[in-house]
Order: sequence, then C-alpha cells, then structure tokens
Amino acid sequence: MTDLLHFEDFAAGQVYALGTHVLTADEIVEFAQQFDPQPQHLDPAAAKDLLGGLAASGWHLCALAMRMIVDGLFGRAASLGAPGVEDVQWRKPVRAGDRLSLDAEVLETRPSSRAGRGYVRFRFSMRRANEGGNAERVMMFVSTAMFALRKGNA
Amino acid sequence: MWFEDVPLGEKTILGSYTFTEENIIAFARKYDPQPFHIDRQAAARSIYGGLIASGWHTAAVWMKLMIAYRYGRVAAGEERTQANYVSPGVRDMRWLKPVKPGMTLTYTNETFAKRDWPTLPQFGLLEGKNEARDQEGTLVYSFINRVLIARRPAGSP
Repeated sequence: MTDLLHFEDFAAGQVYALGTHVLTADEIVEFAQQFDPQPQHLDPAAAKDLLGGLAASGWHLCALAMRMIVDGLFGRAASLGAPGVEDVQWRKPVRAGDRLSLDAEVLETRPSSRAGRGYVRFRFSMRRANEGGNAERVMMFVSTAMFALRKGNA
Repeated sequence: MWFEDVPLGEKTILGSYTFTEENIIAFARKYDPQPFHIDRQAAARSIYGGLIASGWHTAAVWMKLMIAYRYGRVAAGEERTQANYVSPGVRDMRWLKPVKPGMTLTYTNETFAKRDWPTLPQFGLLEGKNEARDQEGTLVYSFINRVLIARRPAGSP
C-alpha cells in the first residue's frame, strides 16, 4: 500500500479532477425520500413554481460529491476523515440529466499537533457541463481533511 | 409559517435519530465508502477504533428531522401554511465527536438572525444555529444553516 497518497504528497495549488456523473431523476427522488422529502425534490409538477422543475436536494449534491471524492481521490489516499466543512454553497438548481464534474483544489496544507497526521484544506467545486462546452459552478464547499504522514508511518 | 412569524432566539428540538451499524454502512456504501464507514474490521484498525458514521450522514439526518418537524406542525394544525424552503448554503459544519453505532443524536435549531434577500424580495433569509447532542448531552455536530422562506403576502393573515 506504499502507493497511497499521504499528507506530504499534497501541496497548495494542486487541482485534482474527480470524474463526472450524470444525475438521474431516480437518484434525486431516492435521496429525497430518505432525507429531504420536499416537493421540489420529489415531484416534477409540484417543483415547477419553486425551482422551475425537479431539483436535487443540496445535501444530495454534497453526498454525491463525497462519493466522487472517495472514488477519485480519498480512495487512493491515507485518508483519516475530516473535522468539518467551512462553507457550502448551493449556487444553482441541479436537475435530472445534468452532467456534473467535480474538482478538488488544494488551498493549504499544515501539520497536525497530533503525531502522524496532517491537515489538507480543499475547495471542492461541482460544475455542470453546458452545451457551449463551458462549465458553470453549481455547488462548492471548502473542507479540511486529515491524512496520515508517510514518514514514521511504516 | 411566514418569515415574519419565525421567532428569534428560541431553541427548537427537531427530533432524534439512532445511528446503527446497518444505517451507517448503508449510507456510506452509497455516498462515502471509506473503510472506517463501511468495513467493521478495517474500522477497528483505524484511528477511530470502530465503525463511525459519515459526516454527511449526520448532516442529512438534520434535514430529515427538520422536514418531519415542520410537516408535523402543519399536520397538527400548529402552523397554518406549509412553507417551502430554499437554501443558498450552510457554513461552519463541525464534526466534533465520531458517531458510532448505537448513538442517538438529538438535533436542535435556533434562528439567530433574519435578513433581507434583495434578489428575491418576496423571501427573507433565516440564519440558524444547529446542534446534535448524544445521550449524555455532549455536542457531537454543529453547523449554521441559511434558508430563504416566503414573507407574508399582503392581505394574508
């Protein structure tokens, strides 16, 4: 497991592309039934006047982003969890059929006072591909995650 | 309930939720499949010493309880209108203590600020302090929510 990314491998300014996901109506409704059963997340007709149609729960977008983070980065890193998130912004309604990409920008790294670990602060941005080839940012959050140190961690 | 009706500085108990090995693993398999969330053996070897819930699971449960609380108030006739809520985001999410199977968290919400939202003048913004505490009363999770709620239309009671 020596090829896992450790704290020392992260540096401010790095950007990791964490893949794309096409969101389905079934996924939107399934999450909403469990955690956010409001009409704008469950029922396309009822959702019309509020957000202009069925839209994903913001918490669903966070959970989806986490899945993309694990699949694209933390799953090949010595991740030790995260103490929190500073700022979550839900900027645009996200709908079924949207093609979403996620990227992670390293903002800073700092060692921990506890031995064997360090903190990496990321800005995660979820973007939606548009027809013109541009991408608009639909959601973002800033979060600090802990990683094991490579040295002294044999 | 309209924007104007929301009280400031009043702590509301939204409800409680018990985290189990089953619901911790089910959530994490789908949304946060890290070993300490999905694999009992691997979790035992981790810095947490056992399975813990994904922080996003702890967060999503707040939403579940908030909706159940609000809809329950309307169903019981304690609120006249069913407000729809749209949130531009939340901040200062803090996972202060790992959430382990068997823990029951009680979630509270307290609106501390009401602000104008110029781009949608028919709405106002509420900011609330939210906490989840375990059975011993220890603070496990906290965050600040921000939500837009409709203002009372002219002529409405």
